[in-house]
Amino acid sequence: MDKLLRDKKAIALFVGPGLILFTLVLFVPICQSVYYSLCEYNALTKPEFIGLKNYISLLKDEVMMIALKNSLFFMVFSAISQLLMGLFLAAILMNIEKGRNFFKNVYYLPCVLSSAALGLLWMFIFSPKLGINQFLALFGVEGPLWLMDVNGFINLPMKVIAFVALWQYVGQSMMLYMAQISGIGKDVYEAAYIDGASKFKAFFTITLPLIRPMVATAMSLNCIGSLKFFDLIFNMTEAGPNHQTEVLATHLYTQGFKYFKYGYASAIGVVLLVLCLIVTFIINKFVKVDNYEM
Amino acid sequence: MGIDMKSNVKSKIVKTIIYIYLSLLAVVYLLPLVWMLFISLKNDKEIFTSPYGFPEKFMWENYTFAWTAGQLGTATLNSVIVCVTTLVFSMLIGAMAAFAIGRMKWKCSDLIMTYFMIGMMVPVHCVLIPLFKTFSKVGMYNNLVGLILPYLTFSLPMTIFILVGFFKSMPGELFEAACIDGANIYTCFFKVALPLSKTGLFVTGLMTFVNNWNELLLAMVFISDDAKKTLPVSLSKFVGPYNTNYTQMFAAIIIAIIPTIIVYCCFSNQIVDGLTAGAVKG
Repeated sequence: MDKLLRDKKAIALFVGPGLILFTLVLFVPICQSVYYSLCEYNALTKPEFIGLKNYISLLKDEVMMIALKNSLFFMVFSAISQLLMGLFLAAILMNIEKGRNFFKNVYYLPCVLSSAALGLLWMFIFSPKLGINQFLALFGVEGPLWLMDVNGFINLPMKVIAFVALWQYVGQSMMLYMAQISGIGKDVYEAAYIDGASKFKAFFTITLPLIRPMVATAMSLNCIGSLKFFDLIFNMTEAGPNHQTEVLATHLYTQGFKYFKYGYASAIGVVLLVLCLIVTFIINKFVKVDNYEM
Repeated sequence: MGIDMKSNVKSKIVKTIIYIYLSLLAVVYLLPLVWMLFISLKNDKEIFTSPYGFPEKFMWENYTFAWTAGQLGTATLNSVIVCVTTLVFSMLIGAMAAFAIGRMKWKCSDLIMTYFMIGMMVPVHCVLIPLFKTFSKVGMYNNLVGLILPYLTFSLPMTIFILVGFFKSMPGELFEAACIDGANIYTCFFKVALPLSKTGLFVTGLMTFVNNWNELLLAMVFISDDAKKTLPVSLSKFVGPYNTNYTQMFAAIIIAIIPTIIVYCCFSNQIVDGLTAGAVKG
């Protein structure tokens, strides 16, 4: 038996395909990306090494700064709002019996739908003359230009998009928290209730500490997800008006596939990758604790 | 007795408030989708004159138009080809790797697992340009294979992660028994391990399918030929620079999301289990 499980040839055969694929389609391209980011490279020329010049022009690029600001806003907003809202919904749903499945499935539904399609739907709802504004006009209220008003440090379109993203993805966080909460033994709560704890107190002193590992997981998923965010923005505003709703992913797409600045776009990609790694590292370091035995 | 009654009344009020809140939120979730369905069945003028109500007359023409003008037939076929191929291969390759990592005994298994898990953190954007260049060179641009390969690669980490958990939790006696009966390692995998991990395979398969069905960025970058486009990309054809034909676009969107909604309604519990299973164990 043991010999069977140590069969080197079989191991190579089993792991091989995945490993080759992973190396060719993921690892090698990442290395290439890092190299391209150090090159002057566009559709017509061959990559030519120029050192850190792309990164220096990134720092001077106004659109890049907008994209970075929007991406970071988006990440912080998603992380916090999804944590609060997701936990809140999970806590409520775990405390009701009737209709739990129905509500759970309804809130989760947008997560499995195409965000490209939903983006187009929300574009209609927030369009200048139709959707919500048409409804407001019935009461003589002139609605704001939801997706075009560019005033303020964080402009209205970004806030609207952030809320749409919350609408779409909060189900995921809720689900993760619910799974973790349902893993906590009933006896723990019963003991607390006998000692006279209220439901609120039980939530803060038992549930919250016990699901902390999941908070870390859900948060890193949220943060990485919001850094990569593309579909909704692309279909709701196409990063406009005038680049005001640009995020890192859309900036990379425009630079790489509209202006064909491959080297420059690769530099954006590397920034994105580094951000993802840093965020995961920070969250795991400060939020994650060792799993409690449950 | 008095206190009991009081707290009973109080908890009833709290319960009512909770249900009102949950129902309102459910409306926020369902209303946009229902609205879209209604609009997709209206004619162009009705959007302006009576945007909210039930359609006066069902305009099924919107659907036939969207289907033909948007070439949704081809797009659906392409999406199905890409997603099904990815699904089959990601389950097979993922399960094989997971079996070797979770069940077999070798020195580097932890290292290889970490290597695969890094894939979960890497955003697809940072491999976009190198892949685009390579694929253009080897003739995989405008080719569905060019979509399948990255989809497959990016669905592997989650698949492997969930399945490793499955294989690790299987009792070792099963394999010993098979071994005594003269099975070799391949029979152990295909005849014992795979059938027993049906739930895991099903769950990861659903996730892979849903994710790839909705993928937009890669599909946009790697495919420019109308005959090769997948569903999410085809939808934006209805957005014009000056005016957008919402009735037809919404008809197209409904066509595109109906398969996911059906799959979700049939398997919502399994999907939910799957999406959480991976994360919970981590």
